[in-house]
Amino acid sequence: MNWNYFIKRFGQAVLTLAATITLSFVLYHAMPGSPAESLKNVILSQQAASGSGTVDLERLNRMVSMYTNIQPDEPLHVQYYQYIHQIVIEGSLGTSIYENKPVTELIFERVPWSMFISVYALTIGYSLSILIGSVMAYTEKSRFDSVSSSIIIGLNSVPYYIVGLLLIYVLAIQNEFFPYGGRVGSNVAAGFNVTFMQSIIWHAVLPVVSMSMLGLGGALTMRGNAVRVLGEDYLRVATLRGLRRSRIATQYVGRNAILPMYTQFMIGIAGVFSSAVIVEQIFTYPGVGLLMYNAIQTQDYPLLMGSLIIFTTVTVIGIFIADVTYGFVDPRISAGGSDE
Amino acid sequence: MSDPIFEVRNLDVSFAGSRGTSRVVRDVDLDVYREETLGIVGESGSGKSMLASALLNAVVEPGTTTGSVTYRPPDGPAVSVLELSEQELRRFRWEEIAMVFQGAMSSFNPVMRIRRHFRETLQDHNRNIEAGLERAESLLESVYLDPDRVLDAYPHELSGGMKQRALIALSLLLEPQVIVMDEPTAALDLLMQRSIVSLLEELQATHDLTIVFITHDLPLLTKLADRLTVMYAFQLIETATVDTILYDAAHPYTRALLSATPDLDVAVDEMHAIDGTKPDPVEAIAGCSYHPRCPLADEQCVRTEPPSTNHSEHHTASCFHHERAPAAVPIRGDDLEEADR
Amino acid sequence: MDSSIHESLLEVAMSSRDDAVDLEELFESSDEYDPVPRAERLRRWLDLSVLAPARVAINDWRALIGTIILGCYLVVGTVGVVVVERPYSDVAPRNAPPFQNLEYILGTDTVGQPIGALLVHATPAMLKMIFAGAMVSVGLAALVGLLSGFMRDTLVDTVLMSITDVIITIPGLPLVIVLLAIFEPENPYMVGVLLGLDNWPGLARTVRSQVLSIREEAYVEASKIMGLSTLTILRRDLLGQLMPYITINSALSSRRIIFESVGLYFIGVLPFTTFNWGVMMNMAYQNHALTRPDRLHYLLFPMATIFLMSFGLVLFSQGMDSVFNVRLQARHASTTDGEVTSDE
Ligand SMILES: Nc1ncnc2c1ncn2[C@@H]1O[C@H](COP(=O)(O)OP(=O)(O)OP(=O)(O)O)[C@@H](O)[C@H]1O
Ligand code: SF4
Ligand SMILES: [Mg+2]
Repeated sequence: MNWNYFIKRFGQAVLTLAATITLSFVLYHAMPGSPAESLKNVILSQQAASGSGTVDLERLNRMVSMYTNIQPDEPLHVQYYQYIHQIVIEGSLGTSIYENKPVTELIFERVPWSMFISVYALTIGYSLSILIGSVMAYTEKSRFDSVSSSIIIGLNSVPYYIVGLLLIYVLAIQNEFFPYGGRVGSNVAAGFNVTFMQSIIWHAVLPVVSMSMLGLGGALTMRGNAVRVLGEDYLRVATLRGLRRSRIATQYVGRNAILPMYTQFMIGIAGVFSSAVIVEQIFTYPGVGLLMYNAIQTQDYPLLMGSLIIFTTVTVIGIFIADVTYGFVDPRISAGGSDE
Repeated sequence: MSDPIFEVRNLDVSFAGSRGTSRVVRDVDLDVYREETLGIVGESGSGKSMLASALLNAVVEPGTTTGSVTYRPPDGPAVSVLELSEQELRRFRWEEIAMVFQGAMSSFNPVMRIRRHFRETLQDHNRNIEAGLERAESLLESVYLDPDRVLDAYPHELSGGMKQRALIALSLLLEPQVIVMDEPTAALDLLMQRSIVSLLEELQATHDLTIVFITHDLPLLTKLADRLTVMYAFQLIETATVDTILYDAAHPYTRALLSATPDLDVAVDEMHAIDGTKPDPVEAIAGCSYHPRCPLADEQCVRTEPPSTNHSEHHTASCFHHERAPAAVPIRGDDLEEADR
Repeated sequence: MDSSIHESLLEVAMSSRDDAVDLEELFESSDEYDPVPRAERLRRWLDLSVLAPARVAINDWRALIGTIILGCYLVVGTVGVVVVERPYSDVAPRNAPPFQNLEYILGTDTVGQPIGALLVHATPAMLKMIFAGAMVSVGLAALVGLLSGFMRDTLVDTVLMSITDVIITIPGLPLVIVLLAIFEPENPYMVGVLLGLDNWPGLARTVRSQVLSIREEAYVEASKIMGLSTLTILRRDLLGQLMPYITINSALSSRRIIFESVGLYFIGVLPFTTFNWGVMMNMAYQNHALTRPDRLHYLLFPMATIFLMSFGLVLFSQGMDSVFNVRLQARHASTTDGEVTSDE
């Protein structure tokens, strides 16, 4: 492992997180009026709903600070320092205005669920892509090749949420094959038992399938890569060397064609997490996406910013892991250290 | 030395394309003798590489190869190469005949160490890995490479010349009877070319190796080869020993080729010094394929294809007017006589 | 259809060698360098970057169909809104099924607005949004990529590329959602701009590496042809070389803007303002179009509209990809063929 490369990637990850946190700080201030002003109304309406009395400015500032980690009466740089300090050192993302609970608590309860469907969607989407793409390349110019190309171009034109809606219509409403909404059956006891697991998987199928549409465009990339590798000198030499077909298919074609997709896969992580907001809303799947959606509806800014920061953190970690492991699968990277 | 290890008869290679079918090897007959070095020369695009690939039944998709290629191993029955099953072919390649092909700058899988290439070759041919890797080390040494360094390197860590030499070592790993080298020295500097050539001569002596050597580098071939065969327009037009070709070439094209190579100690990059345009693989050429460029061409040449005739033992050429060729196409430069053959 | 699909995908195509030569001539003939009047230069520029690709595009069925589809949307968005009456509640019976009446051929919604007219009148806002979004993402990408490429290895380059990498990593949709939630834009141009903000880094990187490689080539060429400055050659080559990426990425970013905006309108994150396909889907969904088969058309037609437009964009980009690919290959053929590798 090349340390330079490692440090560079790590620096990149830290920079991204810092940028996101800073952005959220800036956005608090970019809200129409000051953070205090814009939050005042929200807080007041919440207070009114819960029946408390009037609020004076000092108390309001304290509340703004409690909810958002921003202390409106301090100078800007102090505010910024304290904001960062709260998040990085204290691990606090503020308090949800609507739920009146720490944002981190609300989010962390949901992160595993979002991860669960996203990771599956990504894995399934890309595995299918790689499979279809390789078969297309091997059967280049055949009927299968052109039909699959057309289908994939077609699927590329359908937004994943429309796929989701159609799936709901056909598989959950017209035919009740799959449940529609939620992440586990309401009458299933939680715990480490088969029924519970089954129920979880059953509820995840449709969201996962619709999210995995995002990875499917990869099939064309894979096809292009494999066709390119099939024309490489080293492939010809491998055949001339009388190597086994299976070895050539996996170690030569497979490995070299999949490698360039790794980067795409990494960026795909961000894409799939992004789609969670819409997909989870459609399937009422209670993950971070749905939480974020609810935060918008209730103008729960701390929760909104917290979700953004968590979404970014998870993506950054994913990309960092992928980046670092990439050095192991492709020897050229750790040696060259080029990011071109 | 007239015991053939390869007998090629009526060999044709063609590609179906949008403009029509290209026949890139046309009705080739050729014997390769055991333990000789046979040089194939000809201008770029004349079909040399295709002919070489056909020896291993390895013409690239979607080309089709017809005719017959018979391989006679030192012991055991003759093998009809074009009729081997996939499994038999896999065995045949690299164990009986290995090929170092043109432009082999990227002959190694970029994500695998060189050692792995040697190891997997041994594995897939069911050889003893220990003994094989030892042999690999001595082969690498004989191409002037440091085995420890090279085996542990990834391809991108080696220079072009080092890769080329590593590939030559790899090609000898399974002790093949025949090795086909398609311009193996094109990417090497002069010094390295010389050392590869002397290495090949050495190997040939110690391993009873038959070498088929393709190059643009006529001077190199005259030093290395025992016999030469000249390819023009997808056909072999003259075959003879090196001396016969140099001093007694019968075909006007061969003579033109020689005269376009004024100094046999200096390699020419490309044989394009001959006037006229290159033949098109899609066209069927009536009569002698060389007639559009031949100074001796007459009615007969345009209408009928000249048969391949024996001029002496081991000397065949396809030309109606070969007696008039020396006068019509003089080989320029008297220094030829002094050339170090 | 077989072969044409195939060609674009086959990036390192060997099959199109012959075409490549013709194309090379087609492109090269118009941009050789000598001092020419401005009008002539403009004409040549037009020929190089617009007409020539257009001529080629006609021969690629995907580019052609894609262009036709997109053209139709443009017509609907401009002429259509004049021809088709603006829909109001109860101008037609409520919940009418499609294909029954020529007045409201696609049926009506729950308040009696013809669905066809709704779709037509949503088009201009969509087009504005797409236009703004694509302009912002492609514009930013070009700006950052060019700047970074020309100032390679300077602080500017480092900073710009770091920003690019940061934005690639931040999940786009959550970021956009936060922006939208805070600024609550209503103007379709504004929505487009915000959506375009997370969409430029990939192209910026491509532009940068293109600039770098052209710079390299220009340098080599300038040293070969005395009297031509590197800058002259750069200027000559840059536009031609970047055009493919810009065209294709405009199409792809447009598709992305459609996907994101419709999705956000559909789940109701974006404020309901004017007519909008996503809003229509949302209304349909709220009105149980999924569970009541007699209302399904209310949901399906906007979906189909979105699909068709994306399909046009995807076809267009695929077509353009193969059109330009042939040309790029031709350009690079000459520089890669004569590669000399030295030993050790
Ligand atoms: N894959 C292919 N499909 C169709 N025709 C091909 C293909 N590869 C090569 N050819 C044609 O076959 C002919 C012979 O090619 P070949 O590579 O054997 O020439 P060569 O004599 O080895 O030339 P060089 O000295 O340049 O290596 C050429 O005219 C070439 O255009
Ligand atoms: S046969 Fe005729 S055309 Fe052909 S080489 Fe001989 S003289 Fe020339
Ligand atoms: Mg060749």
